[in-house]
Amino acid sequence: MEIPKQIRNKIVAFMAPIVEAVNLKKTYMLGKIPVEALRGVNLKVESGDFLAVLGPSGSGKSTLLNLIGALDKPTAGTLLIDSFDVSTLKDNQLSDLRRRVGFVFQFFNLIPRFTAIDNVGLSLSIAGMGKAERKKRAKELLETVGLKDRMKHKPAELSGGQQQRVAIARALANNPRFLLMDEPTGNIDSKTAREIINLVKGLNEEKGVTIIMVTHDQHLAREAKRIVQIFDGVITSDIVNGEPT
Amino acid sequence: MRTQDVFGYSFSAIKLRKLRAGLTTLGVVIGIAAIVALLSITQGLQNTITIQLETGLATDTLIVSPGGGAFGGGQHGGDFGGGALGGAASGFRLLVNDTLTINGLSTDILTSIAVIQRSGYINSTEHERVTTIVGVDFAEYKNIYSTTFVSESGEIPDNPENNTIIIGKRVNERQNGTVLFTAGEDVQILWANATARPPQNESYATHVTAVLQEVGGFAFGGPSDSNIYIPISTAQEFFNTSECEIIIVKLANSDQATIDAVVKKIVDEFAGEVSAISSTAVLNILGSVFSIIELFLVGIAAISLLVAGIGIMNIMIVSLIERTREIGILKALGMKSRTVLAIFLGESVIIGVIGAVIGIALGWVLANIVATVLSSGAITVGTGGGAGASGGLLSITPVLTPLVFLGAFGFGVGVSVIFALYPAWRASKLKPVEALRYE
Repeated sequence: MEIPKQIRNKIVAFMAPIVEAVNLKKTYMLGKIPVEALRGVNLKVESGDFLAVLGPSGSGKSTLLNLIGALDKPTAGTLLIDSFDVSTLKDNQLSDLRRRVGFVFQFFNLIPRFTAIDNVGLSLSIAGMGKAERKKRAKELLETVGLKDRMKHKPAELSGGQQQRVAIARALANNPRFLLMDEPTGNIDSKTAREIINLVKGLNEEKGVTIIMVTHDQHLAREAKRIVQIFDGVITSDIVNGEPT
Repeated sequence: MRTQDVFGYSFSAIKLRKLRAGLTTLGVVIGIAAIVALLSITQGLQNTITIQLETGLATDTLIVSPGGGAFGGGQHGGDFGGGALGGAASGFRLLVNDTLTINGLSTDILTSIAVIQRSGYINSTEHERVTTIVGVDFAEYKNIYSTTFVSESGEIPDNPENNTIIIGKRVNERQNGTVLFTAGEDVQILWANATARPPQNESYATHVTAVLQEVGGFAFGGPSDSNIYIPISTAQEFFNTSECEIIIVKLANSDQATIDAVVKKIVDEFAGEVSAISSTAVLNILGSVFSIIELFLVGIAAISLLVAGIGIMNIMIVSLIERTREIGILKALGMKSRTVLAIFLGESVIIGVIGAVIGIALGWVLANIVATVLSSGAITVGTGGGAGASGGLLSITPVLTPLVFLGAFGFGVGVSVIFALYPAWRASKLKPVEALRYE
């Protein structure tokens, strides 16, 4: 039986890795000095993964994060995000692609003048969702991250952990292909960090959300199913469930 | 992102910095208010003057005065040689009996009358007033200016006694309503004869026969509220002259062809030493003068709006720098560059719309205040001229035409948007990675 081309493409897209980097290189200029931040990274992230990218500062992990988040373009090599080749995309298309990525930042990056529900709603409004629908969806998301009773609070009225929960709810808003987290617990106390990491684990295990987390914290990285070590712009080890690959 | 959400976002950004946004808006408000106030006042002033001129003198009259190339110079081929102002340079004088010559020039000319005028005084035992003494043929003058040379009290005689005078409303009454002279009263008029050696005041006793109805503030050849009228023959004797200042010509009809033909004949007859001008031409000249004044005033007001525009640009650039990180977040969340552009332009549109609306309202209020002040007599505007000096109050009704309204609105919003283009463009071009890193 012949499978129609459209459906076949969808199946292929579904089965294809969410992120695939082949010999990925990124060089940027620090003043007049070229810095090779990534020197040939090969990485595949499958749907349902919980991946920690572990590396010291200056290892190139932030550069990798920016590339995977479609915030920047590679200098050389191939990077496929959700089967889109990032190098070939135009500015507008990159914007569209970013909506398939759920960004969670170390410093939360919420809009200070918006309440929790409006911060989550912002992501939906950028995607073009109407007001009523937005409100409903934002409520659901805030409930998911355990902030049901803090919806009308502005970031300044929330603790660090609560702010990060809002940020996670915002990142999940548009049903992204994966959550991309940059030191998600780097700016909160260890007890709250525990809660956040349990929330993230729950999202991965119960809802099947793919997670890519960038950190320099070994303890945090150990919570992930898979740890990729990056050093000096190349991947030095890739361990899945404690087993080297 | 939906349009209403773009505006909603812009508005939330404005609300965050109320004082700053308020001051920026104030710039637009002042610019627009100035434009609207100036335009509606000049428009109102123009209307007032035009209406007064139109009712004050008939359109089928020409005013002939000595001096080629002065006021109506354009009408006879630009002959500026004959003395530019008032004919003084050439020594040409218009005579009272030149009316006979003019009457014979064309069948389109029904009649013409000479007008002699001098500055002078009118005295009763209790009051003295400065005025313009005008000598005319009462019957003919009444015929030409049938709507304005009308008595309020007393009667205008067709064959007046030598000592008859008719006085204008404004001569007779102070602005507070005090009546100075009444019909039937004996008064004295006098003028300073500067040609006598030594200069001396000449005077004679007269009898107020009639007080005119109010004409309005302006006159061109026609009756004026601030003049007194004496018979032409008395005037010739009293002023000891056979010359006149102007000759008023009444035409059979008021179409432009007739006016042009008669003007040419009169000017040719006096070899370019006189100019003849119709009230239509006066209105046209007045119209173009007002256009220039209007343009000038609006130009000044526009500069203030330009300054407001630069203020907007300045504020937007500051805002852009402050919000660099926010723009990075928006872009990381998948906002397109053009949406970032729209958000920034949206802010300027909101400022422009609010500024323009308040500005138009404020301008309108200002225009009305100014008009009220002018009309209440706090400031008296007098106009003087060889053809009929008059002084009086201006009652201006400011006019806000739809064109001015829409123009001011469009200009306010337009300036705001244009000056926001550059900052908005810069915001939209920010690279997300760099913007997010910005502290």
